[in-house]
Formats: sequence, structure tokens, C-alpha cells
Amino acid sequence: MALLTEQEKIAAVGSIRPIRSRNFALTVPALLLLVVFFILPVVSLLLRSVMEPEPGLQNYQALLGSTTYLKIFLNTFSVSALVTAVTLAIGFPVAWALAIMPKRWASIVFAVLLLSMWTNLLTRTYAWMVLLQRTGIINKTLMGLGLISEPLPLVNNLVGVTIGMTYIMLPFIILPLYGVIRKIDPAILQAAALCGATRWQALSRILIPLAAPGMVSGALMVFVMSLGYFVTPALLGGTANMMLAELIAQFVQSLVNWGMGGAAALVLLVVTLALYAVQLKLFGTARMEGR
Amino acid sequence: MKNSLIIAAMAATLGLSTQASAADLVFTSWGGTTQDAQKTAWADPFTSENGINVVQDGPTDYGKLKAMVEAGSVTWDVVDVEGDYAVQAGQAGMLEKLDFSIIDKSKLDPRFLTDYSVGSFYYSFVIGCNKDAVSACPKTWADLFDTVKFPGKRTFYKWSAPGVIEAALLADGVAPEKLYPLDLDRAFKKLDTIKADIIWWTGGAQSQQLLASAEAPFGSFWNGRLTALAETGVTVETSWDQNITAADALVVPKGTNNKEAAMKFIAAATSADAQANMAITTGYAPINLDSSAIMDEKLRMTLPDMQSASQINADMAYWAANRDAIGERWYAWQAK
Repeated sequence: MALLTEQEKIAAVGSIRPIRSRNFALTVPALLLLVVFFILPVVSLLLRSVMEPEPGLQNYQALLGSTTYLKIFLNTFSVSALVTAVTLAIGFPVAWALAIMPKRWASIVFAVLLLSMWTNLLTRTYAWMVLLQRTGIINKTLMGLGLISEPLPLVNNLVGVTIGMTYIMLPFIILPLYGVIRKIDPAILQAAALCGATRWQALSRILIPLAAPGMVSGALMVFVMSLGYFVTPALLGGTANMMLAELIAQFVQSLVNWGMGGAAALVLLVVTLALYAVQLKLFGTARMEGR
Repeated sequence: MKNSLIIAAMAATLGLSTQASAADLVFTSWGGTTQDAQKTAWADPFTSENGINVVQDGPTDYGKLKAMVEAGSVTWDVVDVEGDYAVQAGQAGMLEKLDFSIIDKSKLDPRFLTDYSVGSFYYSFVIGCNKDAVSACPKTWADLFDTVKFPGKRTFYKWSAPGVIEAALLADGVAPEKLYPLDLDRAFKKLDTIKADIIWWTGGAQSQQLLASAEAPFGSFWNGRLTALAETGVTVETSWDQNITAADALVVPKGTNNKEAAMKFIAAATSADAQANMAITTGYAPINLDSSAIMDEKLRMTLPDMQSASQINADMAYWAANRDAIGERWYAWQAK
């Protein structure tokens, strides 16, 4: 194994560079598309937040100075956190089961997962509405069995939002988790058992730490998607569970107050990016991608 | 088999390309059964008479409308909007002035007429009740706000618009002639008393679903939706006591390339025949004063314009002037 000469090193580096710039050139169409159809409109909406109705920060003052709007912010984050936690709690066992079950069964479960992802979101949300309402199948069955005497309030409140959103977010956590768990060598768990680890120890000290990258990336994706969610909270939640996306839609479409809409959008964007940055700092890109 | 598929695909492509041609008129409304009726009663006869193809678009979105007008690229030629929005948008310079040399305004209901808008159809907020689900039905707004006499969930229109605030004040005993300017403090205080029992409906279809399933066995509804629901076999009782009328309006966004065709379309849509046909399919009332004369007697009796005894007209000018302030307060109260 001979050491490279100085010349060879330069040649090697030189041959890498053109490839890199060529690779970058390939991304230009996609970047242009993003700039024209995404970044420019977003920037122009954000500019309105400081320009309308007159230049200044009055929109932000109104937004952050109002207890109602602060409640909506708080609600957005707590609902997203709750949905993320429930999704993770349900998704982890499913992903684990998928990784260890026979291939044929696993492909059936995957088909069900993907099929539900491909079904129209609005249809699925309305389906939950029909299931969960006071006169819905769930309440009727429970009352018919004599388990409850009054219908449970399952919809138009936080319960409805959590159920609906968790259901929609599940694939987004199961798929990355499955990818990570499948790569864990089952022999490691056997080794743990041989060394006297209890099942709980094997789970908490081996499986969960090894699956952590998938859990983190899945949870982050679910949390960030939940922050901007609109249809499901609007239909399954009550007005007291309003989330930020609904507020923005109200400003933009109904009240036609784009200054306030832009301000609310910027706050959401800043908080989301900040969370993402914290996540990157704590876990780094490499671990997030499951490497 | 394969050939017919190819032909179908070609026909579809041709259909698309004719849809996009510049001479077409784009009509935008709220979708659902109402827009279907507008297509059958207004657009189809208009096309066969004038040869101008009408493309249906929707739903109406005030944010989109504003963006089109501001960017100077207006793709909606005639838009069905809420009456108070029409007044406000006209004042804000978002709309074209209507050409009353093409549209005959002498036959149109003056309540819904401005320089920038004519009525589209008009409706009433009425009290609807699923008779099979409860032992007694609320008859008045005061009943609907009485959770002791009428326990259970009730449903109201979710968005900030004429209707619910008026109902709250009437329920609290405000005399109809003293309704405007609205006493918002009093209205929200009254609404607070039933807030926990309200399920909000966001669109007509949802209101029907809530009533039919008895999720909310009573509430405030657009009268046309109750007519339609009764036809499906649900036992609906409608109380017209102090029904609150509001109208949709037809407007032309500023900067459209099809101004003349748009005026012609509005003239056709507000004609006596077109308005009568629309009323027959939807149960909403015509805004052309000659329409009811050509309608079936029995059907006419179910329309809001026959229920004028205790009828209350929502004040569109008041709403246009206060739309933003009420809206902010409304949504803040809902989210509380």
C-alpha cells in the first residue's frame, strides 16, 4: 500500500471537485422551483406582516400581546407533543412486531399502513367523526353493552384531535422505526438474555438505545407535521382546541388580514426551525439519519 | 377496447383544452348541492343561449380573490360571496361596478343591491329540530338558548357572519327593531351561557349530518338544507319564528378580462326563470321579484320570502362596516 504522491493527491482532489459542482448543477432546477414557488411567496407573506396595514411591528404586538393567541400557540405545541408521545407509544411496538414477524405477514401489515396513507385525508377524518360522535358506533356499542349510560365525549374536543391525528401520523413513525429496528442484530438480544438481562433490561438498555435514532427522527417528523396541521383539528376538535394553522387560515381566508396571517406564520416558522436546530445540535445529522 | 380507451383519453384532453380557452367564463361558488343547482339553473341555459362556456370553480376564498386582484391576474369572472363581504369588498375597490344597462335591476330585490353586487339567492337562518330524537322541539331563539327546558347539544354556524349574534340577542329579549347596532357584549354574554353545549357546523353538509344523526338534535340552520334533509326522510321540524335572512351576492372581481360576458351571466342568473329554477332545487328564495309568480304554489310556501311575518333582515351595511372587528372578537371568543 504505497503512499500517494503529492501530485496524485492533487489529481484525486481535482477529480472530486468537478463531480461536486456537476452534482450541484443538477440541483439547480429543483432549487429554482423552490425559490420561485415556495421561498418567494413565503417571503412576500412574511413581509406583509411588517408592512400591513402600515410599516411596523404592530401585528406581532397584537399577536404576542393577546392571551387568546398565546393560548392558541400553547395549545398547538401541547397537542403536537401529546400526539407525538401517543404515536411513539403505539408505533414502537408495531415497528418492532413488523421487524420480527414473518415476511408475508409483514407485507400485509405494510399494505394496510400504506393503503390508509393513500386514502384521502378528508375522507378519513370524516370517518372518525362518524365513529366517534355521541351517536356513533363506538358510543352506541358501549351503551348497548351497558358499560356506559351517557355517551362519552370523544369528538369536538382534545380526545378527538388526538385520536384523529395519531392515526394519521402513525405511518410516519412506524416506517423510520422499522428501518432502524430491522438493522438491529437479534443476536444482541440473545446475548443480553444469556448474560442474565431481564426482558425489561433488554428493552430499556439495548433495544431502545439502539432504536433511538429512528425514534428521534420519526418523533421530530411527527411533531413538526403536527404543528402545521389543519384539517383534522378543525373537524375533530372544538373551537377551544384551535391550532395555529387554523388561526392562519382564518386570517388569510376569512378575515383577509394578511398582516396578522403573515405574523402568525413567521412565529410558527421560527419556532419550528429553532426546534429543528436544537434537534440537530443534540443528535447530529448522522444519527438522525439512522447511521 | 384499447382503441376506445385512446379515444376517451383524446376526448378528455380536448375537453381540457377547451376548458382553458380564454373566451370561457369562470364562475366560482361554494361547491356542494348549491353550486350544482347554480350550474343547472343558471350556467347551462346561459351557455346554450350565448355560446359562452361556463367553467365551474370553487370554493369561494376571499384570500384568493384578493391575491388575484392585487396581482392583476384575475381568473374568476363571477363569484358568489356572502352579502356583507360584497359590500365591504366593493368599498375596498376589489370589485368591478356592475353594468345595469345589461342587468335589469328594476326587478331585483333592493335589499341585496349595491353598485358592485346583486343578490345571488337568499336564505334564512331558522331553528331546525330532529323530531324523532327529542320529546319537544325548540320554537324560538329563546328556547334554543334554554338548556334547562331543552337539554343537549345544539349546533350553530361556526364562522363570523350575520346570524348567530343576532339570534343570541333576540333570545336575550332584544326587540328586533333595536337589534342594530349589535350589542356585542350582551350577545357574547348570552352565548357564554350555552357555549359548552354548542357543536359548530362549518358547512351545509355537516349541519345536515349533525341533525340527521341527532348528534345535535336542534340548532340554527340554513333553511334550504332542512328542506333537502326532509326530502331524504328525516323528520325535520322547522321553526320560522324570527327567521334571520341573509343573502349571497354575485360580484365581478376587479380586472377580469371577461367583463362583458360576466355582466351578461349575472343578468341571466338573476332573471325570473333562472332564479325560480334555482329556488325549486335548493329551497332558497329568489332575489328576482317576478320569480315567485311563476313558481308552484305549494313550493312557494316553503321559501323564506313567504315567512316575512316575524322575519328579521340582517343589516349587511352594518356588517360590512364592522366585519373585521366582529370577526376578531368572534374567533377570540370561540378559542377562549
